[in-house]
Amino acid sequence: MNCYRRKWNWISAWILLLSAIWIGLTAAFAPATTGGATPFPRVGFSAPDFELSGLDGSTVKLSDFRGKVVFLNFWASWCPPCRAEMPAIQKLSSVYPPEQVAIFSVNATSQDNLEDVQAFIAEYGLTFPVLLDIDGSVNRTYQIQALPSSFFIDAEGEIRKVVIGGPLTEAMMRAEIAQLVEELP
Amino acid sequence: MLPVIQIGPVVLQTPFLILIMGVWLGLTASERYARRQAYDANRLSDLVLVGLVAGLLGARLSYVALQPAAFGGNLLSILSPTPTMLDPLGGMVVGILAAVIYAQRKKLPLWQTLDALTPGLAVFFIALGVAHLASGEAFGAMTNLPWGINLWGETRHPAQIYEILGATASAMVVYRLHAAKHGPAGVFFLGWTALTAFMRIFLEAFRGDSQMWPGGLRPAQIGAWLILAVVLIILGRRWREVQTPPAPDAATNDSQVGP
Repeated sequence: MNCYRRKWNWISAWILLLSAIWIGLTAAFAPATTGGATPFPRVGFSAPDFELSGLDGSTVKLSDFRGKVVFLNFWASWCPPCRAEMPAIQKLSSVYPPEQVAIFSVNATSQDNLEDVQAFIAEYGLTFPVLLDIDGSVNRTYQIQALPSSFFIDAEGEIRKVVIGGPLTEAMMRAEIAQLVEELP
Repeated sequence: MLPVIQIGPVVLQTPFLILIMGVWLGLTASERYARRQAYDANRLSDLVLVGLVAGLLGARLSYVALQPAAFGGNLLSILSPTPTMLDPLGGMVVGILAAVIYAQRKKLPLWQTLDALTPGLAVFFIALGVAHLASGEAFGAMTNLPWGINLWGETRHPAQIYEILGATASAMVVYRLHAAKHGPAGVFFLGWTALTAFMRIFLEAFRGDSQMWPGGLRPAQIGAWLILAVVLIILGRRWREVQTPPAPDAATNDSQVGP
């Protein structure tokens, strides 16, 4: 009996020791995370930079907004969930001070038409920048598979949450943005 | 990777569907096992249902509790059917607590119940790996190895495939041990837990999205190591309890019979 007990204790100790060594080796030789350095449209990666124009012709470059929390929403006027969530996004744009939070929407103009986009903006009274992805390049860069798609980006430019599909609720957007705002210096 | 399936305006979250399927298949496996062990399969289903419903409610309430100000003027949003407003950790804690309370109230035998849950957990963990493969989460670290896959702009370890293989191997090894009809009640569950924790320690090294502590230590590995240590201690004690001859007046029904 004691022999089995001792054997089991030895086996357990060896398993735990080898596991601990493996953990140590992993810590020393396997620097894992992306650290938000590589640009890619996924959580944990740096948000790919882009420069787009709005309806008024003014241009917006994403990297100019480092130091602020950015909420980026991809949409089209024909997409029902996009329509459903837009009033909440508009409401949200007036909640946070612009020096803390930047809210943009990127219209998939290559799958939409400008008249419908203008009518949509007028209908919902959108006051935040609506950017036009005329050739679809930003939609491709962000690998948009469904509309709407939303990206929550922290002040360092790292994507912290991606939501594919919608509609998003105002409370959910507030909760996610508030978390990132709390991290601001 | 297939994070979503779009059917017209409806976007289905593929990982969520896979997890639901994992729960269903897992529950079926556990019920089959329970019936073979002459364990009340209906009670087991009720236990899982209580845990799942409580877990789901707990995940939502925990999410709300973390950012209560966001729900200040939108209390009805708490009931929104979106799967994005869930806190997995809070849900897990509440779900397990609810299941424990249910099991105590119904006086379910601890080790036999855990054994009956094990096939379901094993299937669910395989499904979790498949869900990660679909969503692209739990992706691998960069590598030059020939079996690396091109993902997120780099050649990476196929960490989700490792995860699926690891979960399948754990399930098969424990099932083989169990089929050998050795050991007291609880060994099936404890053995699977130990193997799963060991796999996590080993495979976490190949992941590219691990949380890191200062010094490069990964909390997932530390947590798994602690679980492994506790489980090995309990396993040793379970074997000893059964091998110790019982007192003549303390007849127990502790031995386990294989399927």
